[in-house]
Amino acid sequence: MRDKYEPMVNTLNKYLDEILPNYWYNIVPDLPKPLPPPIDPPENSSRIELLQQILPKEILKQQFTIDRFVKIPDEVKEKYGVLGRPTPLYRAKALERFLDTPATIYFKFEGALPTGSHKVNTAVPQVFYAHTEGVDHVTTETGAGQWGAAVALAAALYGVKATVFMVKASYDQKPGRRALMEFYGAEVVASPSKLTKIGVEIVERNPRHPGSLGIAISEAIEYALENGYRYVMGSVLDVVLMHQSVIGLETMKQLELIGEEPDVLVACVGGGSNFGGFVYPFIGLKSSKKMEFVAAASAEVPKFSKGWYKYDYPDTAGLLPLLKMITLGKDFVPPPIYSGGLRYHGLAPSLSILIAEGIVKWVEYKESDILEAARIFAKTQGIVPAPESAHAIKAVIDIALQAKKNSEKKVIVFNLSGHGLLDIENYRSMMLRYQKQ
Amino acid sequence: MKLLTAYFTLGYPSPSMFTKLLKAAEDSGVDIVELGIPPRFAKYDGPLIRRSYEHVNRLGMDHWQLLKEARRSISIPIVVLTYLEEWVKNFTSFVDKVHEIGVDSILLPDLLIDYVDVFEEYFENAKRVGLTLFTSPSMPDKLIMRVSSLSKLFLYYGIRPTTGVPIPVDPTTLVRRIRSLVKNKLIVGFGLSLNDIADVLKAGADGIAVGSVLIQAINDGGVESVTKLLKELRGVIDGV
Repeated sequence: MRDKYEPMVNTLNKYLDEILPNYWYNIVPDLPKPLPPPIDPPENSSRIELLQQILPKEILKQQFTIDRFVKIPDEVKEKYGVLGRPTPLYRAKALERFLDTPATIYFKFEGALPTGSHKVNTAVPQVFYAHTEGVDHVTTETGAGQWGAAVALAAALYGVKATVFMVKASYDQKPGRRALMEFYGAEVVASPSKLTKIGVEIVERNPRHPGSLGIAISEAIEYALENGYRYVMGSVLDVVLMHQSVIGLETMKQLELIGEEPDVLVACVGGGSNFGGFVYPFIGLKSSKKMEFVAAASAEVPKFSKGWYKYDYPDTAGLLPLLKMITLGKDFVPPPIYSGGLRYHGLAPSLSILIAEGIVKWVEYKESDILEAARIFAKTQGIVPAPESAHAIKAVIDIALQAKKNSEKKVIVFNLSGHGLLDIENYRSMMLRYQKQ
Repeated sequence: MKLLTAYFTLGYPSPSMFTKLLKAAEDSGVDIVELGIPPRFAKYDGPLIRRSYEHVNRLGMDHWQLLKEARRSISIPIVVLTYLEEWVKNFTSFVDKVHEIGVDSILLPDLLIDYVDVFEEYFENAKRVGLTLFTSPSMPDKLIMRVSSLSKLFLYYGIRPTTGVPIPVDPTTLVRRIRSLVKNKLIVGFGLSLNDIADVLKAGADGIAVGSVLIQAINDGGVESVTKLLKELRGVIDGV
């Protein structure tokens, strides 16, 4: 039976409907410990109250109406289909051969979606809810541009305007992504910008500030508040991770169809949305088998090795309520590495608990390490991975080589959260930089 | 009969008014009162209750004296509400004091969140008074199941992330999720509107808790407004 579906496991039309789930999965009721609630700072002005002017109502409702399964609206499910869900699950046979490992490696390919990453899975419902509430303009931030592109696409689908605050380092490095967002019709602004108070303040202090996701989030929120727009958030919030659960739920079904059960699941981590989306259904719903869960992060943004588990602001200006999370501090300015999606100081609260409890393991890799992993993957499997996803590939390679040493027939499944075709210029400059060394 | 639980900040808005409010509450059909001792940082409370704490802190009152008077003036159960964070260093003497005064239970909203690994120690330590446990939707099902029957008087379920802020939630879904897990009386609170009240009771809650709306009523029209509101609420919950 297995050969029939390999290497692209889920191409048989008769299974497509069955694979795309009808419900999102929320891990909160299944966490090992209570999720500490968002809190307001000690002074009087309530950030929690302010949320009602920031987020679409239904998003706020989903964030706080914690239920294990939440029905995906038909309109959203239909758009998921239009955009190419379910995405394929491939077996990475060529990589296995190259590594000469007894391990079996599968990857879920979210890069198959139109904007090249998983981000559209939550952009679509968020913009959908905003649109049904009569909002005609959304704002957001973006690092590498993957989230911004997803919002630009979702906004185009519903005929809503979008303003995207793009971290300046990425704005300068990634003109392709910027062009993509503009092509879909979004307005793209380099952050820190002159459109907001926080932006102006930061530029005055340092005119050459490279920007950060924390600053861009604050700008997008301030801009939404000032103009009566709504803000859509790319990661960190539980509701975002819940929308992303389509990745893991599909993967579970796809593995079931070929009779495989994973031993190890791997994904990269910035704010935690692709990791949570991919891995949480396995953590919460599959308790029968002992599995390992590995979060791959950037050594240049060392939240796991150097961060604290404490209440901190998700955004630099502190417009959002404090969340208890693993954080490097809201004022942390990450170095201008090319994995823009990982340049974030904080981590989704649910994932922070799972890390703190030792249920999810972590690794951190330097940019020079992931360059090599990305090239191995491209030269064996043919797909250029996003630099963010290359962190997961590096972890998979390490695990597969370890399995070889121990002669273990492990089943490793990872999320290839995005392709890297729009990052190819950045890979080129990485090659020049690291080959010189 | 469904239960009506009313929250008051100890000594708010003034010691004499506070005692009158308690009498009015008892006479208006309140089943249980919760009395809040102002903490340094009321982290899970919304703006209205926080301001009431600041107000009584500015007046500088003797909490124990006020609790004693409260105990003398009403006969319905009194639950003392405070953050464990405030008393963690001298918890035993805190329990001794409230025990001596004769309150019926203690509610520590941060117990199962910030002290979840050691909650049983505090539970044991507070046995001579008893603890009413606070739970929320962000708690795992397994924990809610484990603790629900341990809770004295009732199990409190706060359905919003903070008190008194009307964050949109679906109360029916939230109550349905935990109703089957809870082997105890289930009291639901945090930012309830009149519509919410009907929804949570229909979904299986045994009662409701109100706090911020009472503070607002005190601010708007003192004892008279509070009495009117409580009678109205009593009518609503009896009508469901």
